[in-house]
Amino acid sequence: MKLRSILFNLFAWSIVLMVAFPLFWMLVTSVKPQFELFRRPPTFLPETWTFEHYARLLYDTNFLVYFRNSLVLSTTTTIVVVVIATLGCYSLVRFRYRGRESLAFLVLFTYLLPSVVLILPLYLMLVQLGLSNTIFSLVIAYTTFALPYALWLLRSFMAGIPEDLENAALVDGATRLGAFRDVILPQLLPGIISTALFTFILSWNEYLYALVLVNSDNARPLTTGVMNMLISSFNIEWSLLMAASVMMSVPLIIAFAFLQSYLTRGFGAGGVKG
Amino acid sequence: MADVSFQRVRKAFGSFTAVSDLNLEIDQGEFVSLLGPSGCGKTTTLRMLAGLEFPTSGDIRIGARVVNDVAPGDRDIAMVFQSYALYPHMTVEQNIAYPLKKRGVPKAERPAMVAKTAELLHLSELLKRKPKQLSGGQQQRVALGRALVRDPKVFLLDEPLSNLDAKLRTYMRAELVELHRRLGRTMVYVTHDQLEAMTMSDRIAVMEGGILQQFAPPTEVYNAPANRFVAGFIGTPGMNLIDGALAQEAGGWVFRGPGLAQAVPDLGPEATSGAACLGIRPEDLVIGDGPIETQVRLIEQTGHENIVVVEIAGGPRLTGRVPGHRLWRLGEPVRCGINAANVHVFAAGPTGVRLNAPIQGAVYSMQQSEAVQ
Repeated sequence: MKLRSILFNLFAWSIVLMVAFPLFWMLVTSVKPQFELFRRPPTFLPETWTFEHYARLLYDTNFLVYFRNSLVLSTTTTIVVVVIATLGCYSLVRFRYRGRESLAFLVLFTYLLPSVVLILPLYLMLVQLGLSNTIFSLVIAYTTFALPYALWLLRSFMAGIPEDLENAALVDGATRLGAFRDVILPQLLPGIISTALFTFILSWNEYLYALVLVNSDNARPLTTGVMNMLISSFNIEWSLLMAASVMMSVPLIIAFAFLQSYLTRGFGAGGVKG
Repeated sequence: MADVSFQRVRKAFGSFTAVSDLNLEIDQGEFVSLLGPSGCGKTTTLRMLAGLEFPTSGDIRIGARVVNDVAPGDRDIAMVFQSYALYPHMTVEQNIAYPLKKRGVPKAERPAMVAKTAELLHLSELLKRKPKQLSGGQQQRVALGRALVRDPKVFLLDEPLSNLDAKLRTYMRAELVELHRRLGRTMVYVTHDQLEAMTMSDRIAVMEGGILQQFAPPTEVYNAPANRFVAGFIGTPGMNLIDGALAQEAGGWVFRGPGLAQAVPDLGPEATSGAACLGIRPEDLVIGDGPIETQVRLIEQTGHENIVVVEIAGGPRLTGRVPGHRLWRLGEPVRCGINAANVHVFAAGPTGVRLNAPIQGAVYSMQQSEAVQ
């Protein structure tokens, strides 16, 4: 028994270590001075701590512009996706109409196509619409691939909400929209938060679409912006890259920290019991 | 005047007809049960009355108003759901206050109304709790409270007791009857439990296959079932139904079945010779004396009485009911008789109509059935 628990702990910790070490290394590299980076043997903890890379990123580069772009982009995408997915899954679950199931499946079908296949038609369409090279074009692009998954995720949450709850609200005098707001939305909240978090992370980390659809610094998000700025054929600015990575991770970590309890609650209960 | 009425109401879901040609008039202040097996259309009927489903054709009235196209919230009804449908994110207090809020009752007046309802249902201590922190019985009372807090014209109850344990169910049954008497409101109660329907209702609407089979007071449904379905559905153990044939003989009508011949008086004008069905309640089967030769096949001892199943040689099995001290051995031959005054005759077919006049000794039979329940 004792041995088993020790072995289990060893196993668990080795996985934690594997996941955590790159993060740790990223953090450490970002505060090491340039001359310490490639020393052999490597230093685990920096001998001299420095924040010069952060300062350079913030003052000498376009980092803040990219950051703002990413923030605007991800937030807008999240809002658009969550609003459409919430209303969409309400329709898919609550109303009966011809082709409902095929519609739900069709939505998922777009998700099954590799993005490389979709990217060119999408690009051409956006150019025709005169939206190329804008943040908005990325919002549209991200919505196309985040929405199907969000819809299916929320659909299962929605299906878990007993229809009687809504009927009760209707009988109690609420309008359909009122019942949706008073009864459905609070029940759906864990699902909405999970979906929002998922969408936000997806748009925050997306690279391929951003690379193809946007090539002006005014609209570039962090992923392509940082890449473009710090990685060239001849040189990789490791310390700056790591500092940028740290700062890119911060918003996600904050979001997770705040919403984690909702997330686990969402996957656990779902508020099904009347 | 009827408080709730269905006039030629039909409801179809695609090609499936859930309710067909329903005519039902429920009086002001009446307690009416819609009773039937699963899928008989009783819940659809209630949901149409609530406005959660819309009739395919026909009219539904509440009071004088046709409510076919009226939203549920504007029908002046309250409903208790089988699942209780309490709002999980709201406290008991908020749950009960929700209908008030939605109907624009001023905020200042709500707490007093909620408190009054809570007191009536012994919920005062629980107002700050969430539904999840309540027992099944308490949740059920909150659901009732949400219906009672305003004074609706009609109460709709959809199998409200089916999720409670047996003891609590008996208790809540009495509570509901008491509540109905005190409020004097029209109540429409859906159940598949005939005991609930028999003990609580002023009238029972028995449904099967989307069709109303009989709408009458409990004693009448029990003593004069309108057709073979009602006869078989009401009563535990169920009525013995024997297929055979009617023939007009010198002394009047006689029913002949496998191993038995029974004179049946009081047949109506629609009786014809040929295939028919004889119904005998277990309490009307006399075991131990009579012209029919049978063998004992099964005895169920319930304490105060025994349910005895006997078999006519080469014929059907009949269920009888005798006092608890009377016992036979399995396989023992025993003679049986039929209490001729209390037989029921139905036309052939699963919903064959009743052919004989209602039984005279209605009161006697009802008392017996109550003793059993």
